[in-house]
Amino acid sequence: MTETRRDQQKLWLILFQIKGVRARLNSLALQQSLFSTLAFLIGGAALIWGAALFLSPLLFLFAALAVAMFALAGIVRQGRRGLRQLANSDRAAAIADQRGDLKGRVATVLALAEAPKRSPLWPYLVEDAYSRREEFAPARIEPRWVSRSIFALLAAGLMALAIVFSGLRSGNQVRRTVAGSARGQITADIGNLEIRPADPALEPNAEIYADEKTLRKLEQRLAAAQRDADQNGLSRWMNKARNLAGDLQNELTGQKTENAGPPLQMRLTDRNPDQSDGSASNPSSQNSSGQNGSSASRANSGSGTAGDGQTEPAPPTTSMPGAEADQLARNKSAFPAQPGPDPADSAFQDFAGGGSGGGQGSSHGSGSDPNGLFGPDSSRTLGADNFKITIEAQASDESSRSGSPGYIPPRIRVPLNSDQYPDEPLERGSVPSADEAAIKRVFQR
Amino acid sequence: MNEAEEATLSEKPSIADFARIFRRVQGEVHKAIVGHEQAVEELLSALFAGGHVLIEGVPGTGKTTLVKTLGLALNLSFNRVQFTVDLMPADITGTRVILGGSEGRREFSFQPGPIFCHILLADEINRATPKTQSALLEAMAELQVTVGGTTYPLAPPYFVMATLNPIEMEGTYPLPEAQLDRFLFKVRLRYPGEDEMVRIVSSTTGPEEAGVETVFPLAEAASRVEALKRLVREVMVAPPVERYAARMVRATQPENSRILGDLHAPVHVDAVNRYVSFGSSPRGAQALIMGAKVRALLDGRANIDYEDVDRVAAASLEHRIMLNYAAHTDNVDAAHIVEQVVKAVRTSRQ
Repeated sequence: MTETRRDQQKLWLILFQIKGVRARLNSLALQQSLFSTLAFLIGGAALIWGAALFLSPLLFLFAALAVAMFALAGIVRQGRRGLRQLANSDRAAAIADQRGDLKGRVATVLALAEAPKRSPLWPYLVEDAYSRREEFAPARIEPRWVSRSIFALLAAGLMALAIVFSGLRSGNQVRRTVAGSARGQITADIGNLEIRPADPALEPNAEIYADEKTLRKLEQRLAAAQRDADQNGLSRWMNKARNLAGDLQNELTGQKTENAGPPLQMRLTDRNPDQSDGSASNPSSQNSSGQNGSSASRANSGSGTAGDGQTEPAPPTTSMPGAEADQLARNKSAFPAQPGPDPADSAFQDFAGGGSGGGQGSSHGSGSDPNGLFGPDSSRTLGADNFKITIEAQASDESSRSGSPGYIPPRIRVPLNSDQYPDEPLERGSVPSADEAAIKRVFQR
Repeated sequence: MNEAEEATLSEKPSIADFARIFRRVQGEVHKAIVGHEQAVEELLSALFAGGHVLIEGVPGTGKTTLVKTLGLALNLSFNRVQFTVDLMPADITGTRVILGGSEGRREFSFQPGPIFCHILLADEINRATPKTQSALLEAMAELQVTVGGTTYPLAPPYFVMATLNPIEMEGTYPLPEAQLDRFLFKVRLRYPGEDEMVRIVSSTTGPEEAGVETVFPLAEAASRVEALKRLVREVMVAPPVERYAARMVRATQPENSRILGDLHAPVHVDAVNRYVSFGSSPRGAQALIMGAKVRALLDGRANIDYEDVDRVAAASLEHRIMLNYAAHTDNVDAAHIVEQVVKAVRTSRQ
């Protein structure tokens, strides 16, 4: 009787120890699920916030979607993994057997503990398992109290801290720059600006001053640009996407509620009031202007929006005092060469007023615009240009009899004489300023 | 060991007794048999598990010597039947003969054949006709022999060891699957290595014979072996291990087997689907568990583990798997199939 009770106590101890193993295994499985989920949440949120801070609206949208999907997949995967790792008593006993090299002793004790009829070897099995209880102690089967996935959580937290820190630092720099630039007044010529519908995601943060004529011209160009944008379905969708992304960005970064600083002061001038009026009323010429204007926009790309939120006049790269700009605007014939920041924009550099001529579509060598006649010397090497002419003609049979081969003219190459030159564009030369008016009159005829 | 201890051991041996006796018998056998450690262990495992053994080996590898030595060591009655093509069933089971009585009456009397013993060596069993081969079926499965409408029980323990010569196939009758299935294990005696060959020569050509000693006294031998067999059956098996053995046997059946019907095996083995025409019968699972129990006792355990099942898989399943023509052309044997099955089932467990 005493033996039986002692065996029963040993059995209880074994079963209790299996419960301990199970509790520890399940604790680790839950910890892993929890820590991994938190790591994905924190890491994903930090990445999305960082993307909202540093990326443009569309890029942010794609990046945020990718990060959100990755994080969601990770959370689901880790959740399922955690559920799979949850151990019942049988599984805990099997793990104890495996890790303690107990060759099925614990699992057999657990499986047959409730059996109605026990083998005569049952006491031996219980005693055997009990004598090896140290080998399947919970601390030995699973020494860890905390899951290794806490390192993932820590890494995600550190990454989030780094992103927040750099985001705050970057935000302060932007605010300082905006505040610094807002202290002065930026002056730009309307001809140098590409006018296009404003990014709906961007909040208006500029004030534009101009005379009545210039403002009217601005309005006309705005309307033309809006018409162009409305005709393109893709751009409408892009605008919607930008709008959504911008709203999200603003929500995430708190820019809506945050004081973005004093608005940008911009004085708008117009150096060619006559030509620009005509261009604004002609949509086709507006398109042509857009091509040149896009060059100008690359040169003058930057932030800043019109007051109505529909136009984004890119501020010029040069800022000058207002009085000097006014003087420059009055002097129609004296166009200073714009120091365009983009060296690739040769058209803009060659013809500083080319894109600003109210959308006349002037281009290199066209000669139709007298304003585009003068510019800096070109260093083009002669003989570098060529052209092709396509001739549409029907073949004719010039033979006297039908069926005989047609006449094929022989190929003759006649060398140029000493007074002849190949048909190549002339090199642009410098024009004395005194002769400019005369040359211009000739071309205007 | 005093008489009381001997008596206790005879009635109810412990796990330690089992391992000790097993190792002692093993040692006595190895006095006459050089090498073949695994084969001897499998042979003894089958004996204590209550099964029969099919021994396959080329001539001269010690098949007959092994069986004879085992009979000597266990001190059990031992008979040998050399199977030939003209051997009749009555030559094995025995027959009724007319004997004259004391009062002048003549009566039929049953003369037991060589099958009536504890250990029977059926040498080159595949040389006898199927009719004669099947004379062993009833004895192996039910420990009884029926002759002339009368059933005669066989005295336990009863252990049949049949030998097969795998190279001389001319004039032989391959054992039917039903008969093969009756053998718990198939033991292969491999061709000895050079060192083993030297030991064989030196131990068998000298003036001294191998002095094999009996492990049990003659009067107690049968009861002692039976007690050890009962102990084997008492070893405990956890349900997951039983399921593991069942899954292993199911995995030997190809997926398109007509026998399985809609019941598809949970583990799919490519080699089985390609090379096996019919897999193991349920007796294969019994053999796995019984063999694993012996292994557990030898390891001093009262329970079996997955590893024990893996260790006896080859001996238990190889002869139960019928290979198809593709296996013969690709030179794939049953050992390779069983190896793949064990690997697949082990993976499915983890």
